[in-house]
Amino acid sequence: MRVFRFLVALLLTILLVWQLHSPQQLGTSRIPALGDFFNPFTGFWQNAEPADITGILNGPLSIPGLKQPVQVVYDDLKVPHIFAENLADAIMAQGYVTAQNRLWQMDISTRQTSGRLSEVLGARTLHLDKLARRRGLLFAAENDWKAWQTSPETALYMEAYAAGVNAWIDQLTPADYPLEFKLLGYAPEPWSPLKTALVVESMIDALNKRDNDLAATNSLAVFGRDTFNYLYPLWNPRQQPIVPDTGQWKGLNVSLPEMSAQLPATTQRDTGIPDMSLPSAFRDFYGSNNWAVSGARTRSGYPILANDTHLPLKLPHVWFQQQLHTPERNCYGVVVPGVPGIAIGFNEEIAWGFTNVSQEVVDWYLIDWTDQTRTAYRIDGAPQQADLRVERIAVKGQPDVLDTVRYTIWGPVVYDDPEHPLYNCAYRYVTHDAPTPESLGQFLNIGRAKTYTDYRNAIPGLDCLAQNVAFASHSGDIAITVEGKFPVRAREQGRFILDGSQSANAWHGFVPQEDLPALLNPSRGFVFSANQHSTPPSYPYFYLGNFDDNRGRRIFNRLEHMQGVTADSMKSIQLDNYNQLAADALPIMLQLLDRTALEAADQEWLKALDAWKYEYKKDLIAPSLFEMWFQDTYLLTWDEQEAFRQQKIDVLFPEGWRFIELLTKDTTSVFFDRRDTPERETARNIVTQAFREMSQKAREKGQEALTWSVFKGFAIRHLTSQAAFSRLGLQTSGSRNTPNAIGQDHGPSFRMVVELTQPVKAWGVYPGGQSGNPGSAYYDNMIDTWVEGNYFELLLLERPDAIPDNRLLVRQTLLPK
Amino acid sequence: MKNSFYTIILILILGQASHFGLPWWGLAPIAAIAGWLFPQRTWSCLLAGFAGGFLLWITVALWLDTGNEGMLSARIGTLFMGLSRWAVLATSGVLGGLIGGMGCLTGTWAGSLFGRTAA
Repeated sequence: MRVFRFLVALLLTILLVWQLHSPQQLGTSRIPALGDFFNPFTGFWQNAEPADITGILNGPLSIPGLKQPVQVVYDDLKVPHIFAENLADAIMAQGYVTAQNRLWQMDISTRQTSGRLSEVLGARTLHLDKLARRRGLLFAAENDWKAWQTSPETALYMEAYAAGVNAWIDQLTPADYPLEFKLLGYAPEPWSPLKTALVVESMIDALNKRDNDLAATNSLAVFGRDTFNYLYPLWNPRQQPIVPDTGQWKGLNVSLPEMSAQLPATTQRDTGIPDMSLPSAFRDFYGSNNWAVSGARTRSGYPILANDTHLPLKLPHVWFQQQLHTPERNCYGVVVPGVPGIAIGFNEEIAWGFTNVSQEVVDWYLIDWTDQTRTAYRIDGAPQQADLRVERIAVKGQPDVLDTVRYTIWGPVVYDDPEHPLYNCAYRYVTHDAPTPESLGQFLNIGRAKTYTDYRNAIPGLDCLAQNVAFASHSGDIAITVEGKFPVRAREQGRFILDGSQSANAWHGFVPQEDLPALLNPSRGFVFSANQHSTPPSYPYFYLGNFDDNRGRRIFNRLEHMQGVTADSMKSIQLDNYNQLAADALPIMLQLLDRTALEAADQEWLKALDAWKYEYKKDLIAPSLFEMWFQDTYLLTWDEQEAFRQQKIDVLFPEGWRFIELLTKDTTSVFFDRRDTPERETARNIVTQAFREMSQKAREKGQEALTWSVFKGFAIRHLTSQAAFSRLGLQTSGSRNTPNAIGQDHGPSFRMVVELTQPVKAWGVYPGGQSGNPGSAYYDNMIDTWVEGNYFELLLLERPDAIPDNRLLVRQTLLPK
Repeated sequence: MKNSFYTIILILILGQASHFGLPWWGLAPIAAIAGWLFPQRTWSCLLAGFAGGFLLWITVALWLDTGNEGMLSARIGTLFMGLSRWAVLATSGVLGGLIGGMGCLTGTWAGSLFGRTAA
C-alpha cells in the first residue's frame, strides 16, 4: 500500500513536470511549455530588464579575436557609441552589441529569407519557405558570400562581424535567450557571413522585387495596343524627375530595337508576390524622401540633408542606430541588424541618405520546355538542360521536405503549381547575379568619406540595392545619384512577360556607372527624391518601374520657395501632411460634381471638402471623405478592370495621375461608362454617383469613425503580430501620398536631419527602440516622440568621455580574450 | 507544524540553486528531499511543499517584476488572455507551488517506506 501510494505520487510528479515542460496546443495557437516559460529562473521573467539601467555596469567583457580594447558608451536612447582602434575591431564590437540588443530579429529575418522558418515553426510556414527558396533568395545570398570571399577585405569584415555576434551568443545561457526564442521554443544558432548576406538579400528583396509583368501582359492582350497606351502611359508630364535634363545626355546613344512580345492573357491571380496591379496611390508604399539644400539657401550657410525612409513599421524596429569611431572615421547612423557598417547617416564632414529607386529590376521569361518533364528547354531552337537545385527544407516534428527548383539561363522557375499563370516562367532578378566582391563597401566606406569624390567612389558598392543616394558636405557640395545595377533594355523590354526561347530577349548588359543619372550642385540649390521617375523621358536608357507621383512634387514645391532654411524647416517638410494627389483631384471632382443632384444630408460633407486644404491632419474628417470619394470614383470608372479581376485575370489599373488627367481632359471617355447600366455615363455622372455612395457610407460611420486617424488606423506590430508586443491604435496624421508618409502600418522608419556645420548637428527619430526585448524600457521608447513629430538630438562624440552626463546611460568595455 | 516550517525554509534555501544552473524542475527533487527529511501528514506536506515552491518562484518573479516596473508582466498578461500583472505573478507562484507540493509528498511517502513517519 505504501509502495503503491509512493509510486502514484512519484508518477504524478513526473507527469506534472513533463506536462509543464511540453508546449501545448490550444485551438490554433501554440502555448509555450508553461514551466519553461513561467519559471522565474530561466523563463520570461529573466527578460524583465530593470526599467532603469543607468550606470549598471556591464563588463568588462572579453571577445575572442578582438585586437585591442573597445569602449562602448550607451547614450540615453541606448544608442551604442563604439570607440575602436581599427575598423575590424569596431565591426566586431558592432556585431556584439547588435546581437546583444536584436538577436531574435536577426535570427528570424534570416530564417524568413533563407526559407528556414518551418525548421522552428513547423509545417504551417512551409509554403513561405518553399516560395523563398524558389525565388532564389538563399541562392542569391550564397552567391553574395562567394563573391565577398574573393575580396580579403570584405571577407575580413564579414568574419569580424560574425565573430562579434557569436561572442555574444556563446556566453548566453537559456535564461538569457531573447523572449521570442522562449515563446517559440527554440535556441539561437551561430551567426555567419552567409547570414549577413541573407539580411542584405531581405533588404534588396523588400525594396527591389516589384514588377507588373503579368498584369501588363494581360492588359495588353485584353485591351489591345491603342487602349493600353491610352490607359497606361509611362510618363506623368507633371512629374519632377530626380535628375533633370541639363544636356548631360547629349551624345549618349543607346538605341535598341523596340520589342513587345505579345503573349496571350493568363488566368488566375498571382499569389506569392504582392498584388501590384492597383496603382501606388492605393497601396502602402515602400518609399522614402531625401533631399539636400545647399548653403546658399540655409541660414547657417552650410548644407542641410534630410532623409526619411518609408518601410513597414514593426517591432523590433527595422533599423539599429550606432556610432562607429576609429582613428580614420567617426560616423553615426542606422543599419539593419545583421549588416556591418552604416547604411544611412553622417560623419563630421558629410551626410548621406537613401530613397528607393523603384525601377524594375525583375523580369519573367516564358520557357519553351522540350517535353512534359520540364527538365530541358529550347534557346534559339537548341535544347538546353535546366540545372536542378534540390532545396532541403527542415520541418519541426516532421521529415525534411525536398523541393527541386529548375534553374534556366534566365533564373529559377518560381511556381510549381500547374494552375499558376507563371508556372512556365523563369524569374530574371538582378539580385541572383554575383555581386562585386566589394558590394557592401558602401556601408563600410562611406563612413570615412570627406568629399564628393569619396562619396562617388563609395556608392558603387551598393551594387544591386538600387537607391537614390543624396549627399551633402561641410565643404558645400550637394548631390544625388541614382545608384544601382539597372538592366539596359530595349524600349518596353520587360514591360511584359518575355519570350524565353530567344537569347536575343536577354537584357543588354547593365547601365554603366558613368551613365547613371546624377546631379551635383544644381543652380536651384537643392536635390531631392521621393521615389519618383529618375529622369525625364529624354534620358537615353529605357526603364520601367512603380514611381510615386505625389510626395516628390510637394517636396519640390516646398523646397523651391524656401530661403533661410534651418533644420526646423526641414523637419516641417518631413512632417508635411499635404496630399498632392488630393490637391490635383479634388478641385476637378468638385467642379464635375452635380450639386443639384445632392440631398440636404450631403451638404455637410460638401462643406467639409470645400473648406479643406488637402492636409491629412489626424483630427480632420475631410481626408477620410476624400479618400472614400476618390476611391469610389476610381473603382466605378475602372469597372472594366474590376470585371477581369473577378474572372481572375490580373490586369493593370491606371495610375492615379492618369485617372486625374482623364477626369480633367477626357470626361466622356468610354471608360466612364458603367458596364452595368444602360445609360451612357460621363465623368460627371460617375463623380456624382460616387459622392452619393461616399455620403451614405460617411453617414453610417459617423463623425468619430471619420476622424482621419481613426479612419486610417495605424499600428506598429511585433514581427509575430502578437498584440501583446505591439503598439496598436496610435493616432497619426499623414497618408501614403503625403511627405509625412504614415500609412496603416508603413511609414517614416527613420527621420533624420543633418546640418553640416562644424561641429555637425543632427536630429533623428524612429518609431521603435534600440532594444528588441519587449521586456525593456528601450523596446518602444521612441514611438511617442515619433508620433508627436519630435526629434532627438543625435550625438556624434569625439571621445568616449565627451558624452554629456545627462545623456550617459552606461559604459561597457570589450577586451581581447 | 515545525516540520512544515522546516520544509518551506529548506525549499527556499536549496531552491536558490536554480539561480546557478539547476533546471527549474530541480524544484521537484528539492521538495522531495525536504519531504524526506521532515516527514508530515499528507495535507500538511502538500501544503508546505506548495508554500515553499510558491514563495520561491513568486519572490524571484516579484523581484524582477518590480525592477521592471511591471512592463513585461503586463505584456505577458495580454498574451495570456488578458491576465493582470498580479495574475501573471500568481501563475508563476502556483506552478512553483504545484511542483513543490507534489515533490514534497513524493519525498515524504518515500520516507515512509523506510519508517520515516510524521510525529
